[in-house]
Amino acid sequence: MEDEKNRTGPLMIALQYNDLFDLDSISASTNTEDALPKGRAVAFVKAVQTVNERLVEQNKSESLLFEVILIAKECSEEIKMKIVESVKYYGLEIGKFFFFKKEELINTLQSNKVKLFLSTDRDDVCEALHTGIPAALLYEQSDDHVLSQLKVIFSGDVIGFSEDSLDSLSDFGFSETQIETLKAAKICMKEFAVLIGQMKRRFGQENSPLCICVLTAWGSTNVCVSALKTLREWGLDVDEAFCLAGAPCSPILAVIKPHIIWDGGLHNMRDLSAHS
Amino acid sequence: MLRGTELPHQRTQNTSESPCHHNNMSTPEGTERGGQSNSDNSEEKDWAAVKALFDNAKTRKKPRPPKPSNAVTIAVSSRTLFNMVKERKVFEEEGLERYVAHQLELEDQPFTPGVSFPFVKALMNVNAHLRELYPDSEELFDIVLMTNNHAQVGVRLINSINYYDLTIERFCMTGGESPIGYLKAYMTNLYLSKDSKKVQEAIEEGIAAATMFPCDSENELSDTQLRVAFDGDAVLFSDESEIIVKKHGLDTFFRHEKEFENKPLAQGPLKCFLEALGKLQRKFYAKNQRISCPIRTYLVTARSAASAGARVLKTLRSWGLEVDEALFLAGAPKGPLLQKIKPHIFFDDQMFHIEGAQELGTIAAHVPYGIGQKYHKGKHIDTSDAEKNEKI
Repeated sequence: MEDEKNRTGPLMIALQYNDLFDLDSISASTNTEDALPKGRAVAFVKAVQTVNERLVEQNKSESLLFEVILIAKECSEEIKMKIVESVKYYGLEIGKFFFFKKEELINTLQSNKVKLFLSTDRDDVCEALHTGIPAALLYEQSDDHVLSQLKVIFSGDVIGFSEDSLDSLSDFGFSETQIETLKAAKICMKEFAVLIGQMKRRFGQENSPLCICVLTAWGSTNVCVSALKTLREWGLDVDEAFCLAGAPCSPILAVIKPHIIWDGGLHNMRDLSAHS
Repeated sequence: MLRGTELPHQRTQNTSESPCHHNNMSTPEGTERGGQSNSDNSEEKDWAAVKALFDNAKTRKKPRPPKPSNAVTIAVSSRTLFNMVKERKVFEEEGLERYVAHQLELEDQPFTPGVSFPFVKALMNVNAHLRELYPDSEELFDIVLMTNNHAQVGVRLINSINYYDLTIERFCMTGGESPIGYLKAYMTNLYLSKDSKKVQEAIEEGIAAATMFPCDSENELSDTQLRVAFDGDAVLFSDESEIIVKKHGLDTFFRHEKEFENKPLAQGPLKCFLEALGKLQRKFYAKNQRISCPIRTYLVTARSAASAGARVLKTLRSWGLEVDEALFLAGAPKGPLLQKIKPHIFFDDQMFHIEGAQELGTIAAHVPYGIGQKYHKGKHIDTSDAEKNEKI
């Protein structure tokens, strides 16, 4: 039993505490007795919990479950307690808490076999990808929208582009390091996709708590097809697909309302390349 | 920190007063906007990246897709673009899983063309002409595949699109979710679907939309000129006059129209689409191509010219719009006339006229708006009263 558990699960996801709680809205007048105000990641954690509930419903001894851990900068005991209390207050199932110094972020993630590091901060995501840690963007849901599904977007551009095409991105001002990061991100995406694919197969096509989307922001429809076929090879069925051919992303994302966006740090890179 | 939920103002703007979806195409300036005043910086970069990618594409020389804010966006559903009758049957009789498996088995087999296929090809033809005359302009038709089909079917759909060499670069496969939000996100100017519920939803949200039906015998259509025919009341114009006919009869209607000849009718759901077509037409006129313009519009109305025609023409004029041909039938059936015109699509709000058109081989699309919809009768009488009061 123990061996099986080590082989398949759990799927560990790391969140930062400033995504889980909205620390910016704390003012001097805030009652210190109250729990910390909810942040953008709460909806995500609830969605993950829904998936876990459904998985356990199907199989009581299911080992491939999500496990969410919270990471936070080293802080006072008082604040640590506050965080733990607030987590309990909102009924969030957080497996572990880690408090560390800023420079130790990467080490903390690596040593805990984190399968995915989620953040709303694009720089953090990029930095993590840079060092080989699977990282994706946590999308900021505009309202306290509680979905009964966990929605994940994979970038069709990263998955659909072949090795050669990724290399040719150097013609558009992408640096060597950026291209290597994209290639590394693709490998991380594959690992995650395989696991999620296994989870998804525990459910049928209808009424599944996992919704997988492919969004191709730049590539042609053929790139999108390539991405769909690749994900199929990796064992993951896609539910929704979008091909934008350069049309603005944000209106579409606002309708999709995903939780996780795996874009390999693409968006951040464009900004960097403009400066270089 | 990026705010993924912040939308530039223009995109969420949907004036609730007029039943019409506005984008840059309907602004009076007539000039192309290089970028909106609130445009997101990263989106401009997105755009530059796509331009570069397309311009440097090593494979085929496919034309660059226009920015949605500059283009006339036509969203078509998969079932109108292609004939998916057999597959639909599998879905209805055997369920989703079997349907998806069936599509996967036939993945490399392209679908046969559907009812909106000729219309799409005609749009592409107009684009070719526009690109010749204005190589750098983005005021073009942009065709988007908007389907709530499952993404797995997407592979077969794209294979089919490639097979017929259709210029469809954008799509949304919503996997069962409503497409309405995406229609707005793409600033859609016209939505065509076989599902009348979705079409109605779109119209209620201010997007021009129509339901398409299979058409058995099709007339031979022009492949050099896009021809679009519109009914007048409750399509280009509001249904205010139709209400008068239904409530008070023809005589009152004639009197009313004569009396209010100089008062423009209110807009109908397809007015903005006519406007978008007119804008593109003027680009041809500017290059001395009025006679050979590859877009031709028709008004095909049951009104009679003598008693009720003037108001219609004056209304169009007041909007700054024109139709190439205005045909007043004074109640005669529309079928034979449409057979002569051979439009790529004909819009009407009454099923009676749709069926008449189809019987003689015209591709007709139903606009579910206004008092002509029997099942809406109760609801619309109320809202029309409110509308009337507002106008007074």
